[in-house]
Amino acid sequence: MRTFDVTVIGGGPAGLAAAISAEKEGARVLLIEREARLGGVLKQCIHDGFGVIRFGEKLSGCEYGARFIKELEKTSVEVSCLTFASKIEKTEEGFLLTLIKRSGLEEISTKTIVLATGCRERTAKQVSIHGSRPAGVFTAGTAQYYLNVMGQMPGKRCVILGSGDIGLIMARRLTLEGAEVLGVYEAKPTPSGLMRNIYQCLNDFEIPLHLSHTVTRVHGDGRVCGVTTAKVDEKMQPIAGTEEYIECDTLILSVGLIPENELAEMLGVKLDPSTKGALCDQLYMTMTDGVFSCGNALHVNDLADYVSESGDEAGKNAARYAAHKRELAEVHFDRNFLYVVPQRIDLTDKSKPAVFFFRSSEERKKTRVRLLLNGTEILKKTYQNLRPPEMERLSVDLSALPLEASSKLEFVMEELPS
Amino acid sequence: MDPRQKELLKRFGSNVTLEEKEGCVYLSGEVSSWEDAVSAGQLCAKSGSKTHVVNDIRVSGLEMKETKIPRFTDDAIDGKRPDVLIIGAGVVGCAIARELSKWKLDVLLVEKEYDVALHASSRNDGMVHPGIDIHPGLVKKKLNNRGNRMYTRICSELNVPFDRCGQFLCFDRKNILPILYMTLPYWLLTGVGATRVHTYDSLRKKEPDVSPEVKCALEFKRAGIVCPYGLTIAYAENAVQNGVKLSLDTAVLKMKLVDGRIKAVKTNRGTVFPKLVINAAGVFAEDIAEMAGDRFFSIHPRKGTNSILDRKARRFVNTTYSLMGTQSKDEHTKGGGVVGTVDGNVLVGPDAIETPDKENFDTDAKSIKNTFLRHSQVAPWLKSGDIITYFTGVRAPTYEEDFIVEPGRRTKNLLHAAGIQSPGLTAAPAIGEKIAKLAIKKLKKTGRVEKNAAFDPVRVPILRPSEMSKAERAALIEREPDYGEIVCRCEEVSRGEIIAALHRPVPCATVDGVKRRVRPGMGRCQGGFCGPLVLKLISQNLDIPEEKVRKGTQDSELLFGPKGAAL
Amino acid sequence: MKKDLICISCPNGCRLSAELLPDGAVTVTGNACPRGEAFAQTELTHPMRSLTTTVRTAFPEMPVLPVRTKGEIPKEMIWTVMGSLSAFVLDKKVRCGDVVIDDVAGTGCSIIATLDL
Repeated sequence: MRTFDVTVIGGGPAGLAAAISAEKEGARVLLIEREARLGGVLKQCIHDGFGVIRFGEKLSGCEYGARFIKELEKTSVEVSCLTFASKIEKTEEGFLLTLIKRSGLEEISTKTIVLATGCRERTAKQVSIHGSRPAGVFTAGTAQYYLNVMGQMPGKRCVILGSGDIGLIMARRLTLEGAEVLGVYEAKPTPSGLMRNIYQCLNDFEIPLHLSHTVTRVHGDGRVCGVTTAKVDEKMQPIAGTEEYIECDTLILSVGLIPENELAEMLGVKLDPSTKGALCDQLYMTMTDGVFSCGNALHVNDLADYVSESGDEAGKNAARYAAHKRELAEVHFDRNFLYVVPQRIDLTDKSKPAVFFFRSSEERKKTRVRLLLNGTEILKKTYQNLRPPEMERLSVDLSALPLEASSKLEFVMEELPS
Repeated sequence: MDPRQKELLKRFGSNVTLEEKEGCVYLSGEVSSWEDAVSAGQLCAKSGSKTHVVNDIRVSGLEMKETKIPRFTDDAIDGKRPDVLIIGAGVVGCAIARELSKWKLDVLLVEKEYDVALHASSRNDGMVHPGIDIHPGLVKKKLNNRGNRMYTRICSELNVPFDRCGQFLCFDRKNILPILYMTLPYWLLTGVGATRVHTYDSLRKKEPDVSPEVKCALEFKRAGIVCPYGLTIAYAENAVQNGVKLSLDTAVLKMKLVDGRIKAVKTNRGTVFPKLVINAAGVFAEDIAEMAGDRFFSIHPRKGTNSILDRKARRFVNTTYSLMGTQSKDEHTKGGGVVGTVDGNVLVGPDAIETPDKENFDTDAKSIKNTFLRHSQVAPWLKSGDIITYFTGVRAPTYEEDFIVEPGRRTKNLLHAAGIQSPGLTAAPAIGEKIAKLAIKKLKKTGRVEKNAAFDPVRVPILRPSEMSKAERAALIEREPDYGEIVCRCEEVSRGEIIAALHRPVPCATVDGVKRRVRPGMGRCQGGFCGPLVLKLISQNLDIPEEKVRKGTQDSELLFGPKGAAL
Repeated sequence: MKKDLICISCPNGCRLSAELLPDGAVTVTGNACPRGEAFAQTELTHPMRSLTTTVRTAFPEMPVLPVRTKGEIPKEMIWTVMGSLSAFVLDKKVRCGDVVIDDVAGTGCSIIATLDL
């Protein structure tokens, strides 16, 4: 049986970074990718805006991925594409993985695992869209695959539900290819995607954005022939009498992403209900020793650059991992936060600053975020705007802090008069 | 005055009239809502009676939907002279076809849809009922009891997963316990079979996650679960393998009768001249009977919606369970509750809503909400967040709420398998057997009918590597690497399985068809990742351009063609 | 007249309030960095965009190839460029970064591949 120090599951932006950084630490690394080619979702992200933070340039998703793949090729990482991790079991030495690939079924042993399994899209049924079940209802990512990878038009007259970034990007993409995008409908009173995407994907092409509106029903036998939209109240419930029928052949959904954690669950890794990813410490190790998580599997990121950063760290820490008893302090946060990651601090390693990512629970103007240790402020930062779609990053130096497992470490957020 | 007419007069004034003749109760007139039309029919019907209500009451302002039929015509079956023509390839039609393939007969099975099992046979909860709430005098009681007992053998021959897991009927009152013990002889007597009374504790050993409110339960051990479309497809495949001709996309349009016999049956794919016709047309059984000059019953469609929960929820259900009194309000709708499926999901439902539209498969938020509310009394762990999808089916009851499995009353060369609703899936093997027996009897009158010596009862299934042992799976992948390439990750379906599904005795060329056979897209991502890959495999293997590959039914092409060229 | 813009130079998406003065100068507020100022300047005078799309290829294993403009083109030229790409079919293998079309639609900007073919 082949043995590895680090096995990275998933060859997208998180997994690529993790494999490269683990190998740099001298680990024997295996990178598993389910598809035929590395890159994950970057392969279909032909739009630009990637890499501004990491490389200081605006790259397309494909180019961004290619940089990592090129770097990976220079390493000794063993890459196994078209490979599916069917089963993971805990063993004395680490973990036993059952891999399915065209060349056969292989069991390998690994000391640590980095879960870089990305996320999946929420579907029509998960947002309670009813009516008939015709062809022409696609998630934005599936439509993106059809158009950008297969070169096929998934729709001619499209309605988009949800203003997530992929939905906005697809609104522009379909318009450029000659389809008509009749409008983007968002049940929330504020957009779900990045502001720059509202600006350059919708405004540039005069695509209307209908906030506080949703699609309630799909019509059509074979193909979609129309949808019913309605205004929604504060509880996002459709308001009777506001229904409108819109003739279209395609409904595209961009209604949220869910971290993929089926393998994590197989290992009994504890998940955080607010991120739907694993609970982890500042070294990206989950509550299961030896199992690390990064990228969109950990929590859905707004930028690939942050995904790669978490991959770097998770890979490096997995390579350096030596079994030890962790001493964990919990990270608290008030209800103005949607979530904060990491949720724990391992006090046995305070040598490096901890990097926190958070999202605000709602859209706010001028806001101050403070970190308190047993009630004493140890850090503060003021933001001009905070929006749930935009993730914020805070680096905190732990080395000098009198932090103990019993300490109360708490993030608080307060809106300031503008 | 006929007391029923009196009651009609009271309810609907002189708008509705009743006439009893030729063993039927004919209703005519006009009412203002579909519910009224149905309740008029129900008012005049006697449960299980052989005198059926034929309901011709119109609803003012309601335009009845036309039956969806294939838009194309050709001559694929034109001029054929089969011994038997079976109309409808649901589980009943396919079971009949397979039974008849044990004989040296020319059997033609026609189906208006693009695949088998597309109506009620794929849109139910897959329960194989013990028959607890069926009156012993009904036709369906006998067929249910017989069908239930046939399942183990049929499913082993057809290689379809079947689990006789049992069913728990739960009660929230402790003082009912002595009464439950008293019912035991009744279950034995009525063919329900092995039944056990469970106390609070013994129930928890079997189903630890039922609501703490449940105080005791009856366990019906003969209850089971099966994949209903999996079984139908298997029946059809085995029938075809044994010589039955299956013609899909074939709608019966008209029949020509001479001297009380069907001479010719016109379809969109040509006219055929069968010796014997079998009506297994589900919700359309009444329409077929009408064409055949033998309409002596009415079907009133009743839809029901089920939710499918993520595999995660399966740990809360070992079998199937429901709380007494919370099952579907309609007493004629069997089952319901939470059902652990053979594929590892959980079903919740169904409800029962009368509808004029026989093909109304629309779902509504209200149905889902109501069934969840209802069944969370027995299953407090139900979370709407675990729903991965939902579906609606339409049942095909007569007003007498019993099955009609008998020869035509006016037309001589006709057999009906009509009014089949729940427990139709359970009864299907027995209906197949009974109709085949009637058919052979009729055919023997006009000539010799011999056994088909070559009949092979065994259907070879599509290999399922994820369920094999490691060694078996490794050996298979070594022989055929396609089984080592996973296309659908949620359900762990390999490329090999998908390609195999495209080359079976019953043709399959659609994304949904592949999904029903080998499950890509059935999981939590609902085909978000594998949908395009399945589409490409269909395109490559069957040589269909990508933009011509359909989701399912006609006009359901998924793509508009290569960019640039398409617009 | 003041105009509200969203800076698209980086993911921060700063909300800018910008005004084009009669002398051609632009005043900007709301920007977190100098890129915001430059963005507002061009956005109010001659808006520029980079264009990302795909071109069809003659190779069935990769029917379309992702491409982008090398640099930015005037916003109003987007449809002209898309039009000139619609008839184009790439029939030679290229690598990521290679020029696919030189000086597309007279913009002076080339179209480059963003993936290996």
